[in-house]
Amino acid sequence: MTRAQRYRIGVDIGGTFTDFALFDDATGDITTHKLLTTPGDPSTAVIAGVSAVTAEAGIAIADVATIVHGTTLVTNAVIERRGAPTAMLVTKGFRDTLDIGMERRYDLFDLRIRFPEPLVPRHLRFEVPERVKYDGSVKAAPSFDQLRMPLAEAIARDRIAAVAVCFLHSYLDPSHERAAVAWLTREFPQLKVSASSEVFPFMREFERWTTTCMNAYVQPVVDRYVARLEDGLAALGFKGSFLIMTSSGGTFTGGLARRFPVRLLESGPAAGALMSARHGRTLGVDQVLSFDMGGTTAKGCIVHDGTPLKRYELEVARVHEFKRGSGLPVKIPVLDMIEIGAGGGSLADVDERGVLRVGPRSAGANPGPACYGQGGTQATLTDANLVLGYLDSGSFLGGRMALDAEAARRAIESGVGKALGVSVERAAWGIHEVINEDVARAFRVHASERGVDYRRCSMIAFGGSGPLHAARVARKLKIPRVVCPTGAGVMSAFGLLSSPVGFELVRSRRVSLARLDAQQILREFTGLAAEADRFLAEAGVKAVDVAHRHRLDMRYEGQGYEVEVPVVGPLDATIRERLPHAFAQAYAKVFGLAFDDKPVEIVNWKVDASGPEPGARHDHRLKAGPPSASSRKGTRRAYFPERDGPVDCPVLDRYALEPGATVAGPALVEERESTTVVDPGDTMRVDAHLNLILELGAAS
Amino acid sequence: MSAAYDPIALGIQWDRLIAIADEIINALVRTSFSTNVRESYDLSCVVFDRKGRSIAQGAYSVPSFTGTAPATLACMLAKFPAETLQPGDVVATNDPWMGTGHLFDVNVMQPVFRRGALVGYTMSITHLPDIGGAGFSATAREVYEEGLRLPIIKLARAGVVDEAWIELVRINVRVPEQTIGDLMANVSCTTVGARMLVEFMDEYGIDDLTPLADAILGHSERAIRDELRRIPAGIYDNAIDIEGHADPLRLACRITIADGEAHADFAGSSLAVPAAINVPLCYTRAMTCHAIKCLTTPKIPNNEGSVRPITAVAPAGSILNPQPPSPTGGRHIVGHFVNPLVYGALARALPDRVQGDSGMLNLINVQGRTREGVGVSSIFFTSGGFGALRGIDGQATTPAPSNMTGTPIEVWENLTGMFVESKELLPDSGGPGEFRGGLGQRIALINDSGQPMTVSCLAGRTEFAPAGVLGGRPGGMRKIAINGSPVHPKGRYVLQPGDRIDTIEAGGGGYGDPRQRKREAVEADLRQGFVTPDAARRDYGYRG
Repeated sequence: MTRAQRYRIGVDIGGTFTDFALFDDATGDITTHKLLTTPGDPSTAVIAGVSAVTAEAGIAIADVATIVHGTTLVTNAVIERRGAPTAMLVTKGFRDTLDIGMERRYDLFDLRIRFPEPLVPRHLRFEVPERVKYDGSVKAAPSFDQLRMPLAEAIARDRIAAVAVCFLHSYLDPSHERAAVAWLTREFPQLKVSASSEVFPFMREFERWTTTCMNAYVQPVVDRYVARLEDGLAALGFKGSFLIMTSSGGTFTGGLARRFPVRLLESGPAAGALMSARHGRTLGVDQVLSFDMGGTTAKGCIVHDGTPLKRYELEVARVHEFKRGSGLPVKIPVLDMIEIGAGGGSLADVDERGVLRVGPRSAGANPGPACYGQGGTQATLTDANLVLGYLDSGSFLGGRMALDAEAARRAIESGVGKALGVSVERAAWGIHEVINEDVARAFRVHASERGVDYRRCSMIAFGGSGPLHAARVARKLKIPRVVCPTGAGVMSAFGLLSSPVGFELVRSRRVSLARLDAQQILREFTGLAAEADRFLAEAGVKAVDVAHRHRLDMRYEGQGYEVEVPVVGPLDATIRERLPHAFAQAYAKVFGLAFDDKPVEIVNWKVDASGPEPGARHDHRLKAGPPSASSRKGTRRAYFPERDGPVDCPVLDRYALEPGATVAGPALVEERESTTVVDPGDTMRVDAHLNLILELGAAS
Repeated sequence: MSAAYDPIALGIQWDRLIAIADEIINALVRTSFSTNVRESYDLSCVVFDRKGRSIAQGAYSVPSFTGTAPATLACMLAKFPAETLQPGDVVATNDPWMGTGHLFDVNVMQPVFRRGALVGYTMSITHLPDIGGAGFSATAREVYEEGLRLPIIKLARAGVVDEAWIELVRINVRVPEQTIGDLMANVSCTTVGARMLVEFMDEYGIDDLTPLADAILGHSERAIRDELRRIPAGIYDNAIDIEGHADPLRLACRITIADGEAHADFAGSSLAVPAAINVPLCYTRAMTCHAIKCLTTPKIPNNEGSVRPITAVAPAGSILNPQPPSPTGGRHIVGHFVNPLVYGALARALPDRVQGDSGMLNLINVQGRTREGVGVSSIFFTSGGFGALRGIDGQATTPAPSNMTGTPIEVWENLTGMFVESKELLPDSGGPGEFRGGLGQRIALINDSGQPMTVSCLAGRTEFAPAGVLGGRPGGMRKIAINGSPVHPKGRYVLQPGDRIDTIEAGGGGYGDPRQRKREAVEADLRQGFVTPDAARRDYGYRG
């Protein structure tokens, strides 16, 4: 192994800290570093940290083969509306599609609901006389020259930096959009251009165009960001490949990221799910429920056979009470994660019905929970966990922040306890339990919609609040085992570094199966694969190293929702005969039954191309710290309902636990960023990788 | 009584029941065959306790259905008493007077059994793609012309579907595959719901839902009574004129608010008409409950408790309480006016809550064949502007008071072979006001299928514009034209190949005096082109 292939760095940019993990593939050692995130320009911390972590490991930056990072840049740019002024070219007659929207209210009774403003304002949308029909035939060819003047004026007046090209039925025939891109590139070479047939060639104009506008809107921002990072790293002497995590769990080169920045949405959380997938593989578990709970939200993802499930829609920047339907709908391949408005900062109060409600509103970092003593007076989940004894006033965040238990009690008493007529402890337990129930309910719905039996999963829990709630949530789902992996920041980097460069193409082309023969199916797939391969080639992946996964969205003719059918087995003349059975199986898995007599059609065609899995080994370990005298830190009173109140409970130091150690609940295991709660009746052991494994006892 | 229920468990279990109703909707939408359900969510799912009280409904559903569902269940149990039901029985009806007010909606109910005991019911309701007869239009003169009317039937007995009913439906409708597919989707989603309800009871060790239902309904009822008590007690009158089939109609109401209750009497409204726009009382009552709930307790989940303090009556034989055989296919066209009628009555009492009139829905029902020869019976759902409220401009093209989802152009063209030439906002259609009404839109559809297509619109707002509220001005009116000639908005027409239908969807009414509108808001509207310079000068006194 040459030195130049030996080192890889994962960078996880979190809200507070940016974590760096340097992996040595020759020795299996990991070196870590932590810096405060630089929110104004995240690349500053990245460059500083890469420099620091290589110095700490005693290696030259030139010896690093790969740097991978996840970023919330795109999500934040959309939420905070910090993208570039963007124009849109759109099929004549459909300039207002973005304002007209879904023509749906997302709440039946709330007259005061709000909707997000389109990313491209109406006066920056320009109509193009052109039309492709639903069957792919051309009704009118496009012409652009009449747009030269108005567009030039808008560029001068509104400082337009990007254009989205959005024509009807372009998923069938992209030629008109391509002509527009060519014209724009010729006439206005300074503009970034995104075409809907390239960004995501999916039927349904509102969602496709919103996605395309978002791509254009963040393109200049991402372009600058990538340039700063690439230049900064090059100046340090970095010569390897610089990659960015995408929302679907593959990685992009800087070039792909600049071209399809919308696919970087949710790139941060994706790393956590990938880490769970990696752990699932290491632990030999075929179904994993990844549970990540932090300060404001919890995220869940089902990992099946080592691969997180995917989907193709996402809602960004909700504007009304976090409600589904109040955001911008985006179509891109994403890891199929659910987000739940439940985290340490979730606010607890009594709602309009007179029952306890926790979240989705959050106290955020400022003022934060009442116990932070920063002026927060409303009770939060963290306040409840402090009152219950799960958290400790003195050891929160490794003792860096003292918590005010009295303030927590006061907030719970005045905000919840009095209104419901229950004691502070009972109210605190209620807050804790409402969150457990919310998370379990969300997982239950999520799993059953996907035909997954969650009872067979193992849970992998992480994030500041994950290990604190994991056992209770798992118990509600009848999940027998919970794994709390060591060092969340490092593990996220693990996820980043285990994911290959990849590009997925999805195209809508509705065809009745009866009208297709094997050759036509193969031709469609080959065309898509060739297109995806071109992107990978641009990213430097060799053709021989590219693997393809083929899938189809199929349905009974006349149905509105498709079922994703994996195409397994050889791509050859037998494919046509294999499809009906493959569809029936996939359909029955979701809906419990299938019809043999109804005609079937294909709606979307998907090819996922990916490069080789990076890295030579996956058994890296943190270098051992100095041995500690005892793992027992002391005891604390903690509330467990099965013991009818607070009991004395041992507190353990996670960093002092040796592999093989076992503990019977109740017990609390503290680490810097989190506490693992071991409930009465459960047992915990430490495995060879220093993961904590909770085996849940009979329901208590 | 609800004091006995643990306050923490109540919140958790209540939310769980709502989640179950949402799950039923998921199952329904994903297995349905028609655009009505899958794109437009023209549906509802409800969970009932053993006593037939509705305790939870899905979030995405049409409000009127949840208002009618308890009465439908009561009719079903009158015919098939609870003690005679067995596991696997499925009861259904589409009777307008026992169901949702017209033949198109099928109501499907399953009793839920746990350990051999009846513990509750699940019901789903969807708008079927076709029910035979005149098609989805207002042209029928009697209910007999409107299609197949199913009394309360047992669609399945002990898990065995009665094929005779399926045959009967199949032979009576234009698109049997879709219609039967949707009917069976209702059956399977109520089965899913029943299973989940039992799992829920197992998990929490609940043998009888009654105490939980008492607590849920008690809390909901108390919340709405508290809000109703905040409205000054008194009598609130309102009357509005709306277009009918031939002559204008008058809708009148008198709302009495007293002791935390609201009673609506629709005496003084016009008599029923020989056109399918009559509103059975079940629908009138449902819309009354919806309107009052929007004004008082929009955030309380819908259930029987949240509508208990609201009552509604209308004289038999009036347009808001027609008797058989009055036709009712387009009952929503008139029924949706119950909301603005009620809002108008309570405007002075609740200035922070009321809304300018909305442009409302247009349902363009199309029947024919695609160029490829496939039968088509589909509805193009589209919407006028939302009325303004204090502090909020009306959202453009947003349905009210009912909820639907607009049909995507690419989906519609694929489905029908029609050509949509344009679909764009209509500047100045939003009613002027301190807060502007939402814009309506203009749509042009062309029959590009190469063969004749039948088209019928079901819409109002072509003679009487959506009114403004508290000084706000009316929004623009709806217009429908075929090949450039105006046509009646509730008629049924044949579009020859190449013929076009143009619709203008009404704008929402404004809120408050337009001269009080902030200058920046007028300028933003001008920049976006939502308001033209002429209108800015005329309506807002804007002088640049």
